[in-house]
Amino acid sequence: MDFLHYLVTSIPFFIRAAAVTVELTATALAMGMVIGLVFALMKISGRRFWRCIADTYITVIRGTPLIVQLFAIYFGLATIVDFGSFWSAAIALAVHNGAYIAEIFRGGIQSIDRGQMEAARSLGMSYGLAMRRVILPQAFKRVVPPLGNQFIIGLKDSSLAAFVTMKELFGVSMQLASTHFAELQFYTIAGLYYLALVVLFTFLVNRLERRLKIES
Amino acid sequence: MGKNKGLSLLPGFVFALAILAGCSSRGGTEQEPTFTYAMSGQYRPFNYFDENNQLTGFDVEIGRALAEKMGMKPVPIATPWEGLISGLKAKKYDAILGSMTITPERQKQVDFSDPYYVSGPQLFVRGDSHIKDIQDIKDNTPVGVLISSVYDQEARKYTRNIKNYTSDVTALQDLARGRVEAVITDRFVGTIAAREQKLDIKPVGDLLFVENVGIAFRKGDPLREKVNQAMEEIKADGTYLAISKKYFGTDISN
Repeated sequence: MDFLHYLVTSIPFFIRAAAVTVELTATALAMGMVIGLVFALMKISGRRFWRCIADTYITVIRGTPLIVQLFAIYFGLATIVDFGSFWSAAIALAVHNGAYIAEIFRGGIQSIDRGQMEAARSLGMSYGLAMRRVILPQAFKRVVPPLGNQFIIGLKDSSLAAFVTMKELFGVSMQLASTHFAELQFYTIAGLYYLALVVLFTFLVNRLERRLKIES
Repeated sequence: MGKNKGLSLLPGFVFALAILAGCSSRGGTEQEPTFTYAMSGQYRPFNYFDENNQLTGFDVEIGRALAEKMGMKPVPIATPWEGLISGLKAKKYDAILGSMTITPERQKQVDFSDPYYVSGPQLFVRGDSHIKDIQDIKDNTPVGVLISSVYDQEARKYTRNIKNYTSDVTALQDLARGRVEAVITDRFVGTIAAREQKLDIKPVGDLLFVENVGIAFRKGDPLREKVNQAMEEIKADGTYLAISKKYFGTDISN
């Protein structure tokens, strides 16, 4: 059995590659969360100027493919600034997912009843304080499911980093597949590793959701 | 009414698509048979897209000359390097004519023609590099190579820090930018890329080994014999030499 042989012998390669995939995704999504929160707050701000900027950002990023953004950063910006493959991929993933996360946050914030803000303000809290203490904690609970979903998309999208010389799961599987002339086996194996990561992550998100439920 | 009309057009549309998609190689009952040969299209000057987006280069012209000798219609196509052998086995084209080096591992997968040119991998470094030859490549020196190429295998003997590219030319550009410290690629590809794009890179040391480059066919395909025959003919009548001279100013057949 070819497949089992490849599956077992490739473990050290894939484990190292999975670590790279996780590191890249975690870095990118941490940045993406910050970007998402900033743009979500801009989108619901009272000032038209901020709303306009946020709208433009979200429209442009959501309207262009991730691979195009990645190549623009890694190959295109190379003459001006060199981020290297890890940071090029991390920035592209962060900027890309940030746009989607911004919309998720905005939806979460706007789903909180208006009375909450009014009540907080009438207690004498400033807008910022009311956001931090009252609105965002409640919104966070509501955005966990769609956010988890976006993280899974981000994890799978990190595979594109293989095209800017990164040795993550997909990059390693591409290389092994063509070295051993066993495409079906190695791409299947790569798929299994992604699947394992996604299933593990889904389990963690579900546990978080349950914990948040009990607290309420 | 309008809706129904659109629906009735659908089968015809699907049928037309099917015909378009079904243009396979060696089809063509009424016109001459085609010779469809594949390459990466990312390997200037052997095979690349020119400014008019036409696939061209040494490999493309050799394929055209061979097809004419065999009385077939030449159809060069470009497909990613790492999938070339799989595509051949899946009968997506008749041959790989894209500067593929003959290796024992590949011979288990495909049948090769007689070598159609001889070359060798060369180490390229930046103009100001201290690297004098392959022995200066340390365990952690970042080296750029085409994914799943013989250069990829070779580089692994010297360093663990391999950066894989889908094109040798991109790897050379990243070398000039300082993203890798060295690139191993074909001597002609490196020197011509340096000259044409004015990259600050230089070849160092000797050729790492001699490569015999062949045309790959499916196992047991009789087309191989026909192509070997045609290759003899274009070498005898000067067609091969003219193409070789045009690209390299010399005869690269041995």
